[in-house]
Order: sequence, then structure tokens, then C-alpha cells
Amino acid sequence: MTTTLHKRWRMAVMLVVSGFYCVPALALPDWGGVWAMTGGTVFDAATRSGPGGSTTPGLRQRPPYTAEYEAKYLANMALRDKGVLPDPNSMCGIPAGFPRIFNLPDVYEFAVTDKQVWILSENGPNVLRIYTDGRAHPPVADRWPTHTGDSVGHWEGDTLVFDTLSLHSSESGNTMIDRTGLVLSDAAHVVTRMHIAEGDVMVVEMTIEDAKALTAPWVVTKRFNRQPAGTRVYDYACNENNRNPIDPATGWTYTIGPDGKIMDQSPSAAGSEE
Amino acid sequence: MKPVRSPLPWLLMLVAGGAFAHHSDAMFERAKVLELTGTIKEFQFTNPHTWVQVEVKNDKGESVEWSLEWGSPNQLGRQGIRPSTFPAGAAVTIRTNPMKDGTAAGAFIGAKLADGTIIGNWE
Repeated sequence: MTTTLHKRWRMAVMLVVSGFYCVPALALPDWGGVWAMTGGTVFDAATRSGPGGSTTPGLRQRPPYTAEYEAKYLANMALRDKGVLPDPNSMCGIPAGFPRIFNLPDVYEFAVTDKQVWILSENGPNVLRIYTDGRAHPPVADRWPTHTGDSVGHWEGDTLVFDTLSLHSSESGNTMIDRTGLVLSDAAHVVTRMHIAEGDVMVVEMTIEDAKALTAPWVVTKRFNRQPAGTRVYDYACNENNRNPIDPATGWTYTIGPDGKIMDQSPSAAGSEE
Repeated sequence: MKPVRSPLPWLLMLVAGGAFAHHSDAMFERAKVLELTGTIKEFQFTNPHTWVQVEVKNDKGESVEWSLEWGSPNQLGRQGIRPSTFPAGAAVTIRTNPMKDGTAAGAFIGAKLADGTIIGNWE
């Protein structure tokens, strides 16, 4: 009897102690489930019209570009309107990077842990790691441009606030931040605030500063809806059966036929003005 | 021919727009709808896009294989489309935005199988 009581006391103490250590220091929000972006895969909504948002610029709510980057963007949009913008995201292999990771079709997961948050996009697939363990960005000498850059953040209540820098520019990494040809420089620095708003909508507000490309901070917001419980996420293998290779010289998207050979001619090869 | 899945009402709600998020759709004549009648050769349920391969007789009575490009298997799979949705050998009528240059390919819009099952957009 005494032995049994001792065992029960020991078990009770262990449960209390283990329970104490399992309780996180802060209650982190429930960002579980599967999410899908609302709206088109562009940051500047005024540029979107036509199927898939691929054609015809509208009256732009413009990023406050410098003259140099405005010219780059206009040149990219002119190619986009002809369907020959060589968007690296269509070429299978280059990560979408940041901030484009918040601008993709297909679904997302937002994985919250006590030391990191992971943004997981099915499309790509792509991963954005945000360190929330209190670390700072590496010193300048210890960082180099990457597609997702370096993100460190913290929680303000249920809002994740994180700071991203060390990003590839359009020159260093062949990046575009959306399918209209938006580009940033290697000076880009982004502060992002993520929280769940009323209606179970994840709101991601990015304030983009770029001393070379922008004349003022540019605020863009993407929203995501939580999908029905049980929604699954699948592989995305871009080279599994990519029958639409892009000609890097002309930007034309070819179509491969059932025999494995290119079926069509690019308009430029055919002499068309398009 | 394998049995065909029962029609699901929400398949009618699939939207063609946005299906080509992976690449430009400049090769398609979006204002034109072509109707093709033939036989399913293969349904390539693969990333980054699915492809419906259909054998269609041309004006000379020769069989031509058409390639109809659709959305990603991930998007379509979440909407109820399966690799078995288009069984090989099934008689089918397909609506497509054809290629501008006349190549035997196009963007898939919708299909009607022999038993009346509608897949994709048909209205």
C-alpha cells in the first residue's frame, strides 16, 4: 500500500513538473490549417486584368519608383503585355523568394513554433524562415544576398512582426517580385506584420523600403483565407512534366507536344509583330 | 471503357482564369472557343499543369492528337478531379481556347463525356 501511494505521489509530481515545462513562455496564436491567397498573383492590383492577371496594365497604384526603376518596370510590363516577360518564376528551379512568397497561387501553411515561424507555400515549394528566438541579423560581413534573405522577428500579442533584408536584387539574382515584372534592388528592406483579422483572414502587410528603387516606403498587403478543415497540401514538382519551356532569348513560352518536341513557333520566329 | 465518375455539381464552378499561373497564356486565343470531339488517349495528371490528350479526326479523316492544358493537379485535386476523371478510350467532347498559330493544342475549358458528365466549365 505504501509503495503504491509513493508511486502515485511520484507520478503526480512528475505530471505537474512536466506540465510546467510544457507550457510555453507565451501563448502563440493558432495559425494551423491550410490557407489560400485571395486576389491575383500581383502586388499592384491596378495592373491586373485579363485571364490570370497576365495582360493589360490599368491605372497603376504605383510603387513609388525612382526614375531608373520606373523605366525597368515599364519595360517589363511592355514585355508582359506581349506575353514574353521572362519571369524567372515560370522557369522551374529558382525560388520565388521574398516578398514573392506571399504572392503565389496554390495553398500555404503558416507553422508557428516557439523559436521560428515557417511560411510554407505549396507552389514551388518555397520556405521562408523567420527567427523569433531573439537573434539579430548577421553582421554585414557575414551575410550575402539570397532569394529569401534573412528574417528576424518577434511577437506583439498575436501579431508577428519581422524584418527582412539581404535579398537578391533583379540584377544579382534574376528575381521579379510578381508576374508584372516588379523588381527591387539589393537595398530592399521589408518590415512585415502578420495577424489574423476578423473573419479568420490572415493579413500580411509589408512595408518595403529600398533606397535605390523607391522614393518612399511602399506598403502592400496580401490576404489569405483558411481552407476547410482536412484540406491537404501536395507536392509541387515544376519539372515533373513541364511542357512549357521559356526561350530565354525571346521570353516566349513554347508548348511541347506529345512526341516531346516543341509544337509551336514563337511570334518573333514567325515574323509576327506580336 | 472504364466507368465514369458521377458528375459533381461543383465541377461546374471550376474557373479557367488563373489556371495558368505558372506561365504566360499568350499562346492561346482566349476570345475563341473550339469544340473538339474525339477519344481520350491519356490524362497527364502532373505538375506544373495537367494535360488532356485527345485523339480527334481531322477533315481528311486522319487521327490527330490534341494537347489540352489545364490547371495544376494540386488545385484540381482539391476540387475533386482525379487521374481517373478522363479514362483512356472514353468518348469526349472538349471545349478549348486553341493556340493562336493553329497548333493542335489549347487551354482546356470543359468537357462532356458520353454519359453527360460535365467536367470543368460548359456554360
